[in-house]
Amino acid sequence: MSPIKRLFPEPGRRPLRQQLAITLTAILTLSILVAVLLLNLLFGWQARELIDQRAAFFMDAMLSVRAYTSKKVNPIVAPLNQGAGLFRPEAVPSFSAQTVAGLLKDNPDYREYSYREAALNPTNLRDKADSFETGIIEKFRRDPSLKRQSGSKATPLGVVHFVAQPIKVSKESCLVCHSTPQRAPTSQLLAYGDSSGFGWKLNEIVGTQIVTVPQKAVFAAKDRSLIATAVLMTLAFAGVGVITNLVLNQLILRPMREISRKAEEASVIPATVNFEERERRDEIGLLARSFERMKQSLAISMQMLKDRKGQGG
Amino acid sequence: MNRWLSLLALLLTSACGGAPRSDVSLCGPGGRLRVGLVGAQEGQLESAAGVLADREQFRLRELLTVASRCEVQLEPVVSPEQARLRLKSGGWDLAFLPPGLTAFALEQNGGYGLVRQLGRRGNSKSQLLVKASRGLTSRADLRGQRLGLLPRGSLSGFYLPLFNLHGLRFSEVQYALSFARLREMLNDDKVDVIAWDGAIPHGMEGFEVLHEDSHLIPLGALALSQPLLQADHQPFLHQLDENVTQLPRSLGYASGVLPEPYALQELRAIVAAVEGWSLPQGGQAYTVYGAKSATIAGQGGKR
Repeated sequence: MSPIKRLFPEPGRRPLRQQLAITLTAILTLSILVAVLLLNLLFGWQARELIDQRAAFFMDAMLSVRAYTSKKVNPIVAPLNQGAGLFRPEAVPSFSAQTVAGLLKDNPDYREYSYREAALNPTNLRDKADSFETGIIEKFRRDPSLKRQSGSKATPLGVVHFVAQPIKVSKESCLVCHSTPQRAPTSQLLAYGDSSGFGWKLNEIVGTQIVTVPQKAVFAAKDRSLIATAVLMTLAFAGVGVITNLVLNQLILRPMREISRKAEEASVIPATVNFEERERRDEIGLLARSFERMKQSLAISMQMLKDRKGQGG
Repeated sequence: MNRWLSLLALLLTSACGGAPRSDVSLCGPGGRLRVGLVGAQEGQLESAAGVLADREQFRLRELLTVASRCEVQLEPVVSPEQARLRLKSGGWDLAFLPPGLTAFALEQNGGYGLVRQLGRRGNSKSQLLVKASRGLTSRADLRGQRLGLLPRGSLSGFYLPLFNLHGLRFSEVQYALSFARLREMLNDDKVDVIAWDGAIPHGMEGFEVLHEDSHLIPLGALALSQPLLQADHQPFLHQLDENVTQLPRSLGYASGVLPEPYALQELRAIVAAVEGWSLPQGGQAYTVYGAKSATIAGQGGKR
């Protein structure tokens, strides 16, 4: 006999209470499993939404810093870079955005966030694209209509979620520093040399802005919520099972056992037995009334038998 | 599903009383490791791209990430001036430095400490090179001439030449990123005297050494910031020592070798003294003037 058949034998092979307990346990366990699987999908979707929202916000904040530098800071600082003096990177939007992101990282709450502007041919080799970033840039270059890429990135420190946007040379003013060394300010050449960060062309995609946000903590929170929900559901379902069992015992099983005991007694001395349950208006009352009628019939039959014996004697 | 399996594995490990891993991260205050890479030699490279090939750069970043267990921000820099500013502002947690910047890093109020030696021993000495045809024979003859230097931060190309030219006025000071570029400027008569490294053959006839500083240029070093020095940095160094073949050969990383601070002692005083002067702006006239530290033995050298 298979284990399932052994657990669920033909009806009537076990006490009703046991049959009910096994059936309820099976139904509730299955319900919990299905619910946890569905909730896992729902919570996972919500977690990814949250990560995407955080990444989008972070990216927009950095773009705002770039825009501010480009519009407000660069016009003031860039002229200072024309001579052979010290190059002031504060004029460069990329520098300001990455510096602000660096300051943000000083706050332990944002330590796992990062913002990077990686280019195939950057002025500052700190911004040189690695193989992963190069792949992203190449994809943007192959498909200029592509505005955004996102996904998970495995790093030696764990998996992070990234969102990337292309860096396009959209203004002629960018080419002052990035077309030829002859056009670039002397201070820039003295700071970074004359061989990297040149040869850019108008409307060319030269790099990518990448934000990474931690997903481990969000998914861990999701898993914690899922486990807590599953535990609560199990407790609730277990409570429902116990209460159902108690109610069933109180409403059906106990009266049935009582009626059964009285019926057995009535089969010997019918006159002494009283089926009080017949007053009930439910199925138990119906059963008690049937037994009461049977008891009375039995009593009459026994009386008739006794009378016949008396006449014969 | 993988997460559940990982969780299960973690629970099983915990249940079996497995000891926690002893890997400790070595990060800067911002939770990442900001690494400055200038290299071991001064004035030998014309561009930042020459500091390291792409592949070496990625390999170095990966090794540093694995060794430190931190996000690594690697910044190769060719200009000693840029590197000097980073060191001054505490912008690097760890730096591969040439001799001049090593001395400068030690002067930053104990901000950095040296943990490994970089570079190979040579006969580098700071020289002043002129065109033989100009008839400049002594330092006094350089009064009113045009001077070519490496950017601020270089020992053989900036600090020592200025220290040796104390008291002279130049009509103009020009900068270049490499000795090779300075030589071109001298050859093209854009300047009259340049700073030069005695270990590099100047390769052209018609140049002569006007002055040679007596100090042997020491080796570069791997420097760590104070927070990292105070943290347990030995496992990190151990990882680098063990994987020395993964490090770019050009760095000359000496596995397990501590730098010799006494070799830098007098040069540190010179760097500190020159740093205290008002220093030349590119393209402008300049008088080399400022207080010399009492601890410096004095100028040395030929001619």
